[in-house]
Amino acid sequence: MRSGPPAGHDGIYHETAFFGSDEEFLAVVVPFLRDGVAAGEPTVSLFGERHQGLVRSALGTGSGVVFIDGDRHYLRPAVAIKRHREMLGGYVAEGATQIRIAGDVPHPGVGVPWEWWARYEAAANTVYNEFPMYGLCPYDTRTAPAEVLDHARRTHAYVVMPDGRRERSPLYQDPRDFLATAVNSWEDPLEALPPAVELVDPVVRHARLAVAGLQDIAGLAVDDLNGLVLSTSEAVTNALLYGRAPVRVRAWAVPGRIVVTVTDSGPGPADPSSGLMPGSGPGGLGLWLAHQLCSYVSLRRAPDGFTIRLVGGEPTMDGQGWAPALGEP
Amino acid sequence: MRRSGFVDAVGGLGRHDHVCWAFETPGEFRASAGRFLADGLAAGLRVLYLAEAARQTDLDHVGGFAAARATGAAQVQDLGIYDTGLQLDPAAQVRAYAQATEQALAAGYRGLRVAAEATPLVRTPAQLDAFTRYEHLVDRYMTAHPFSAMCGYHCGELSAAAIAELAGMHPVASRASAPLRLFASAEPGVGAALAGEIDVSGHALLRTALHRADPAPDGDELVIDARELAFIDHRGLFQLVEHARGRGARTVLHVARDSMVRLLADTLRLPDVRLVES
Repeated sequence: MRSGPPAGHDGIYHETAFFGSDEEFLAVVVPFLRDGVAAGEPTVSLFGERHQGLVRSALGTGSGVVFIDGDRHYLRPAVAIKRHREMLGGYVAEGATQIRIAGDVPHPGVGVPWEWWARYEAAANTVYNEFPMYGLCPYDTRTAPAEVLDHARRTHAYVVMPDGRRERSPLYQDPRDFLATAVNSWEDPLEALPPAVELVDPVVRHARLAVAGLQDIAGLAVDDLNGLVLSTSEAVTNALLYGRAPVRVRAWAVPGRIVVTVTDSGPGPADPSSGLMPGSGPGGLGLWLAHQLCSYVSLRRAPDGFTIRLVGGEPTMDGQGWAPALGEP
Repeated sequence: MRRSGFVDAVGGLGRHDHVCWAFETPGEFRASAGRFLADGLAAGLRVLYLAEAARQTDLDHVGGFAAARATGAAQVQDLGIYDTGLQLDPAAQVRAYAQATEQALAAGYRGLRVAAEATPLVRTPAQLDAFTRYEHLVDRYMTAHPFSAMCGYHCGELSAAAIAELAGMHPVASRASAPLRLFASAEPGVGAALAGEIDVSGHALLRTALHRADPAPDGDELVIDARELAFIDHRGLFQLVEHARGRGARTVLHVARDSMVRLLADTLRLPDVRLVES
C-alpha cells in the first residue's frame, strides 16, 4: 500500500511545487520526506548542496532519510535515469511498495541549459513508470526562468499548493506531445563564430579525426575527449544510416570545451525521448551513448532537418548568458 | 617481439613478422620484396622469392642476392609451380611452410623468410575465402616459429574490398589497405588481436574476418587483445560479443586505460564482457 496522495495509483506519481523562500521550500519538502519515513518507505533527498543543507538542518540527525548529492547525480539526465532506475529496482527487490524521491533538477537559474532537463522531466513520466515512485520536484520561482516554470507544469501531473493541497496540473501534457512540440533547442554562443571544422557527407573516420584534431586548442580530459569523439562517430553514423543527405559536421573549440553539431536533412528520430534511455528505435543506442558521454547534448528538429549538438568539456561558456548560481540570500 | 601496425615501408621487420603489401606496379613490389629479403639475409635467414613467371635473376640487383642464390641461402620460384586454378588447402599450405622452416633451421639458417606475389592465388571468391583462412592459420604458426612473410597483392587487379579482406588478416599492413586487422597473438590464452578502427565502414569486414579466423575461446572466455584497437563503435563491439556468444563464450577485452574501447565497454556494461586494463 502506498502512503499519501499516490495511494491506489500505479507507477510514477510526479509532483512539482513552486517556492519563493527557504521557508516555503521546507514547508513542502519536509512533510513529504517525514511522511515517507513514517510509512516505512525508502525516502531519498536528492538536492544540491544548498538545499540539501536546509533539509538536513530541518530534519536533524537520525531522520531515516537517505541523502544523495544532487549536484553530482544531476550532471547528465541519461546518467541520472540509469542510476535512478537501478536505485528504484533495488528498493522494489527489497520489497518497497513506494519510494519517495525529492530533488531539484538543474536549469538556467543555476547555470545549466534547460533543454535536456526539460526532456528529462517529460521522459521521467515514462521511464520510471514501471516503479512505484513518488517524485517531488520543487522549483525556485526566484531563479527559474518563466519557460522552466511553464514546463514544470506541463511535465508534472500534480502540483503542490503552498497550503499543502495537491491539484492535478491543468497544463500537464502527454510526454510525447510535450517532447515533440514544447522543447526549444539552445544554440551555443560559440556557434556564432566560423566553425573550425566543416565537413559535408564525411566518412565517419574523418569526422572523428577532425574532432580529435581540436584537442590542441581545447585540452580536454582524456575521457571527455574520447567520449566526444565516440559520440561524434555514433551521431554521424546515425545520420548516414537513418538520416538524409547532405550530412554536415561542424565543430568549434576554445580552451576547455569543444562543440560539435551533426545535421542531416531528415526528420530526426521518431521517438521524442530518444537518447535518455538505451535502445528503442533506429540509432537509439548511439544517441544514448552520446547522452552518457558528453557534458551536454541537445536535439533540434526543424523543417530543414535534424541537428544533434554534442559538447565536450565545460557544458557552457562562462558568463555567456547563463545566470550565476544562487548564492546565500 | 612481433611488429604490428600500418606501415609505409617493409624494412626492419623481424623473424616472426607477417606483412601485407598492397602495391600499384610489379616493379614496386619487386623493390619492396628485395628490401624485405635483403633484411632476411642480413639476419641469417633463408629467403624465398615467389612470383608468377619469376626469373632467377629478378632480384639480383639487390646487394648480395646473387651470391646468396649461389649458396642456396636465397631461392626464386615461379608461382606457376602452384596450380593457381585449384583451391588452396589452408592447413596443408601451412604444413608445407612449417616443413620448409624446419629444413632451413636444419641447414643452419636462423629461420625462413618468404616474399610472395600472391595475387594469382586469390582471383575468385572461393580462392579469396580459402586464402584469407590460410593467412590467419599461417599467422598463428609465425607467432611461435622463425617464419616471416611478406604477402603482395596487386591493387590494380583486385578490388579494394578484396585487398582489405587480405590485409585485414595481417599484423602489419601497408597504410590504407584495410581499416582494421585481426591477427594471431603470441600470448597464451589470447584468441586473437584486433587493431585499427572499426566503424560502419568496417562492420562487414569484421564479420568476415571473425568468421574466417574463428579465434578459439580459452575455456568459456574468448580473449581479444584490443590494446591497439584505436576505435570501435557500439555496433562493432556488439558484433564481436555476438561472435563470442555464438562460440558459447564470454568476451574478454585487453584494453589500454585511456582508450575509447575501454570507455565504450565501461559505459555499455554488457553482462558477458570483461575488461582487462593494461
